[in-house]
Amino acid sequence: MINEIILMNGYGIFVWSSFLITFFVCGVFYYKTRKTLKKYEKEFAKEIEELSIKQKKTVLENSKIASKVLSSYNKTI
Amino acid sequence: MFNFLNNSNIFVWIERVTNFINSIFFVLLLVALSFALILSPPDYLQGDSVRIMYVHVPAAWIGLASFSCIALFSIFNFIFKIKYLTLITKSIAPIGLMFTCIALVTGSIWGQPTWGTFWVWDARITSMSILALFYVMFIAVQKLISEEDRANKISSLVAVFGLINIPIIKYSVEWWSTLHQPASIKISGSSTIHSSMLTPLLLMFFVLILYCALIFLMKYKTEIIRIKKKNLKRYD
Repeated sequence: MINEIILMNGYGIFVWSSFLITFFVCGVFYYKTRKTLKKYEKEFAKEIEELSIKQKKTVLENSKIASKVLSSYNKTI
Repeated sequence: MFNFLNNSNIFVWIERVTNFINSIFFVLLLVALSFALILSPPDYLQGDSVRIMYVHVPAAWIGLASFSCIALFSIFNFIFKIKYLTLITKSIAPIGLMFTCIALVTGSIWGQPTWGTFWVWDARITSMSILALFYVMFIAVQKLISEEDRANKISSLVAVFGLINIPIIKYSVEWWSTLHQPASIKISGSSTIHSSMLTPLLLMFFVLILYCALIFLMKYKTEIIRIKKKNLKRYD
């Protein structure tokens, strides 16, 4: 049964390589996209932290996104 | 009326939808793979090599659909000047390119057992390669031109120009004598694929669409943060 699934009557190499390539590429692409997002979130949060207290307060009051990113960043560190 | 379309609301929704997709994705992937690799029957003519269809066809559909979306959004953007559309097209393009390349590679692998060759300058394959080139041009313009407005205009032009290629890809198997088989699934008219093969195909398509949604949302979120980051400089 397992042999049948792996060999697929001689077509296994073609079928498995197609699936593996597809999911490998998708996995790498997911990883890279997530890494970029995290990098931007981190940089953005750091820049907010570097603002003066007054500026920081204004930014957080005006931007829901900034406060969300900052709170999730603070959770991770 | 369009208050829900502001970036803050979109940002919150992105997080919710991403979490939802993450929670169901692996179960669905497992079901789809079981159907595609084990439960579906081999083809009477192509044998087990037909299973390549379950990644090749959805990848090609996504590649085509993504470019059509990019081109249509670019046209809307020319007319209505909606800034979100630029963010959407920028987020879709890499996904479309990736799936077009996957369609080309898996198609090439499928070509070896069925046609006896990995590559042939067949009308369908050539037009799909041209689609990949249009994606590359679209992304390259966005990356290489630093002035954002100019980059958006030129990349939109590339997308609109590339739209001509979409019907060529679709009808290439009917207009020219090609090795590639004609479409088995038709939106209008009866499909020539058995339900035992249609089910895994649609399942795999659904799983890959979910994957695209996940990537798209992450990319869109990145774009929103990038804009916010730029705006933050005003406070310096």
